[in-house]
Amino acid sequence: MSRNNGMDRRQLLKLAGLSAAGLGLTAAGCGSGGSGSGGPVTIRHSWWGADDRAKKIQQCVGLFEKKHPKIKVKTDFQQYPDFWKKFNTQAAGGNPPDVIQNAVTFLRKYEAKNVLLDLRPQVDKGNLDLGGFRSGLEKFAEIDGKLLGVPVGSNSMALVIDEKVYEKAGITPEIGWTWDDWLAGLQKIKSGQKIAGDAGPHGVMYLYDLILRQNGKAFFTEDGMGFGEAELLPYWTEALERVKSGLYADPNKVEQLKPASATAKGLSAGEFTWDNFSVRYSAEGKSSYGLAPIPSTDGKKTGQYLGSLMLSGTARTKHPAEVATFISFMTHDPEVARIMGYDRGVPATTAQFEAFQPTDAPSKAIGAYETAIADAGVLEPITPHPAGADVIEAAFLRIGADLALGKTSPKDSVKQFFSEAKTALASN
Amino acid sequence: MTHIHTSPGVLDAGDGRSVTKGNGPGGTAPPAAPKRPDRRENVAGYLFMSPWIAGFLFLIAGPMVFSLYLSFTEYNLFEAPRWIGLQNFTDMFADPRWRQSVEVTSWYVLIGTPIKLAAALAVAMLLAQKRWGQSFYRAAFYAPSLIGASVSAAIVWRALFSDDAIVDRTQKAFGFEAGGWIGDPAMIIYALIALTVWQFGAPMVIFLAGLKQVPRELYEAAEVDGAGPWRRFFHITLPMISPVLFFNVLLETIHSFQIFGSAYIVSNGSCGPADATLVYTCYLYEQGFVNSRMGFASAMGWLLLVAVGLVTAVLFWSQKRWVHYEEGGR
Repeated sequence: MSRNNGMDRRQLLKLAGLSAAGLGLTAAGCGSGGSGSGGPVTIRHSWWGADDRAKKIQQCVGLFEKKHPKIKVKTDFQQYPDFWKKFNTQAAGGNPPDVIQNAVTFLRKYEAKNVLLDLRPQVDKGNLDLGGFRSGLEKFAEIDGKLLGVPVGSNSMALVIDEKVYEKAGITPEIGWTWDDWLAGLQKIKSGQKIAGDAGPHGVMYLYDLILRQNGKAFFTEDGMGFGEAELLPYWTEALERVKSGLYADPNKVEQLKPASATAKGLSAGEFTWDNFSVRYSAEGKSSYGLAPIPSTDGKKTGQYLGSLMLSGTARTKHPAEVATFISFMTHDPEVARIMGYDRGVPATTAQFEAFQPTDAPSKAIGAYETAIADAGVLEPITPHPAGADVIEAAFLRIGADLALGKTSPKDSVKQFFSEAKTALASN
Repeated sequence: MTHIHTSPGVLDAGDGRSVTKGNGPGGTAPPAAPKRPDRRENVAGYLFMSPWIAGFLFLIAGPMVFSLYLSFTEYNLFEAPRWIGLQNFTDMFADPRWRQSVEVTSWYVLIGTPIKLAAALAVAMLLAQKRWGQSFYRAAFYAPSLIGASVSAAIVWRALFSDDAIVDRTQKAFGFEAGGWIGDPAMIIYALIALTVWQFGAPMVIFLAGLKQVPRELYEAAEVDGAGPWRRFFHITLPMISPVLFFNVLLETIHSFQIFGSAYIVSNGSCGPADATLVYTCYLYEQGFVNSRMGFASAMGWLLLVAVGLVTAVLFWSQKRWVHYEEGGR
């Protein structure tokens, strides 16, 4: 029977192989034709955050795809430290996502390595709208004339406090209060309610930057460190004393709670962090939480600036126009603001700022806080962050924690920090 | 008769054919003929091996050679590697965090491995005795090492040893207000050691096999001579299973040097607190993927390889003194 068909097993296999190859060819043909001539284009967007942000971003993407049916957006997210590990690997391998969430700490690092896309040509082509940004945010990600990102929201450092504890202690933090007022408050809280006044601010780089700025310095200059051992040693010596005396929370316990917040878990009456982080406190803790202004040295200058999350394109992208369209949508569309709320900070454009009217207490407090500091006129321009700033921030946090745990002396900690900072600046 | 006559003839014919085919060089057939099937067989062999060969070249040998090159360079993933000679190695010895990582890893290997092997041997001896439900117990004790290497076990471990978790509460019940082990730089390494000891299943199974090989008569003879259980253990059991013990020591030591996953997860990705779980590979990973110092990380990797090689060599050298092989059993 098979002889009659004139085909044996080997021939059959050959035929099968040929047709498979043919299928492969036609499939490849389809693919290349599709992306070339106005067919649907897929761009990848990755960002850091948690599940609630994932849901919101997915909603925004759905909306975007409906309005721009020829652009598909694939999303991907990790926790903050894992995000950069993955991005480094992808970018080094020549396959970074098209659009990433970004922050000022990373701008120079990746600009020096030609990883980020200059969005300026897309503005000129009309794919990216730079109008309507709130004041202080327009030129946020401009470096050497290149536009390396667009802010999606603004935030500022604040002191998150457990309102019930502060109320019981009879302390009402107001704009214009000083570090002495703050310290007196911590002592009152400790003696009156047997709880630490602060979670321990000595490892928070962004707060120390403010303290330096209040004293006419800054954490970073454009290409290096803006301070020396003479500034840091007394700061960390003092911090260790406060840990020992119980003014700052027990570092052993703070360490184990991570990634939960020490203040939300009732270990301390307050802690310094970004104002938009306060949204998570009521979810994590049992008390009510508010935002207090940053204390200052002279009662006036807080050194504060608006920080921000931004969206950047990557230089390897094959679809810069679509990348710009997506970024423009995420920063301007009012519907996006209603979905995202203050999750990534207070929206950066006036259109989005007005579109979202917060109804929940934490968001209302953030809005009020940012209005208050803007009205108080304390906002200054941000200091530049050199390449390697991300590694330095991590080292500051880690060595600050080591110090509090009693592993190293303040003197050795300071030495270790500057030695690691030097390496980070040299190798990034 | 006819039968006897014909058979040698058939045999001859068969022999003649086999000579021309098989014993080529000495045979009458042309010498090229017999080689052809050999070559074809070789090609087929290599073809079947090719996935492995390709995998070895591209996934193991290639990257290894490249990383050896990188270990003499400064390489941040983005710019071309820059040759700096032995700088990475000298930097390493000057780096207090690197020294910390060596210290933590040595501590982990020196404390964890003997306890793990002792636990494995003790349980193997219990399970070697015949008793009811023996196979259930064997499976139950082996189970942790099946799931042991997984991320989930490390997460559970973190939960067990955290502040106000079950270990902490048990301590409190006995009057120690020590707090959880995870946040305590002095204690967290013991949580890791406990995790590795808990996974003694694999060496236990090997010990079990070794214990089965010890001849019963030796124990009977010793008992008759009045040797107690300890004497029997040290003078019969240990020497008799010393080859198996050697194998386990070697394997577990190498394994311990490579600890990464459990340290990384139990410390929540920080290798902390206060670098207390900064094992060697954890620091290597941080330097490579967080600080973008791939050259430095490669150098660390090669040094680890050399160190493990040295320890293995020392163990092999030492076996002459304490490993006993049965006469003719090698």
